[in-house]
Amino acid sequence: MQKIIGWLKAPEWSPYAGGVALGLLSIGALLFTDRLFGASGAFENIGGAVMQAVSPALADNMYWNFVMPAGLSLGVIMLIGIMLGSMLSALASGTFKWRAVSDDQWIAMFGPNRWKRWAALFAGGILLEYGAGIAGGCTSGLAISGGVQLAPAAYLFIAGMFASGIVTAMFIYGKRY
Amino acid sequence: MYDMIAALIVGLIFGWILQKVRLTQYAKIVNVFRFTDLAVLKFMLTAIVVGAAGIYLLKDLGMVTLTGTTPTYIVGNLIGGLIFGVGMAWAGF
Repeated sequence: MQKIIGWLKAPEWSPYAGGVALGLLSIGALLFTDRLFGASGAFENIGGAVMQAVSPALADNMYWNFVMPAGLSLGVIMLIGIMLGSMLSALASGTFKWRAVSDDQWIAMFGPNRWKRWAALFAGGILLEYGAGIAGGCTSGLAISGGVQLAPAAYLFIAGMFASGIVTAMFIYGKRY
Repeated sequence: MYDMIAALIVGLIFGWILQKVRLTQYAKIVNVFRFTDLAVLKFMLTAIVVGAAGIYLLKDLGMVTLTGTTPTYIVGNLIGGLIFGVGMAWAGF
């Protein structure tokens, strides 16, 4: 028992251990809830709800009525769970802290300016959601949830993601790649 | 109500795992594309292998039914992935 608690509190797990844990979670999720994971869809549910509040006429379309229903979906609840879960995890291992700029590597590469970081996050987030919308899911909703069910779409998505990710990183990092 | 609590619990565990593997860090995400830290790849592929083995075992035992997965639409899945990868390397999500 002591050992399990120690493991849960560790600041970092090996990616293989984490992968086994996520694989087991996917089995459990399908067995007990008949659903798997998703994260990107939740932003579209929330976006739809905001749109309904701001401009109901614009929100009254196929997409938000049927494809991605606006409002508090199960995906939104899971997304809240993901954020809380990672926060609890950081608190448990004592590594939790508030930061305006996320990372030492970012600061070394691009400087400590928070607006620059937030602009990159915002622009990157738009691309992520747009890409996930076209592909039919994100890293969790398509790559993992589709991958464990051997859906070809998931593997096409992973291939595309790594191909353009590598090229983009080369472009951004230039000589420092 | 059961669905909501279940989704919250799955999300909590998922978030816990992501934080432990450090995929919440900018460097972890970007460095997989620079081949300096392959944690993302190790994590994703291990999860898929373990999950697929278990899920297909339970499916053959008749204990689970697969969720309707995203349909295969080569152009969409691939182009979506390509756009997604740009955002991922850029923002480091």
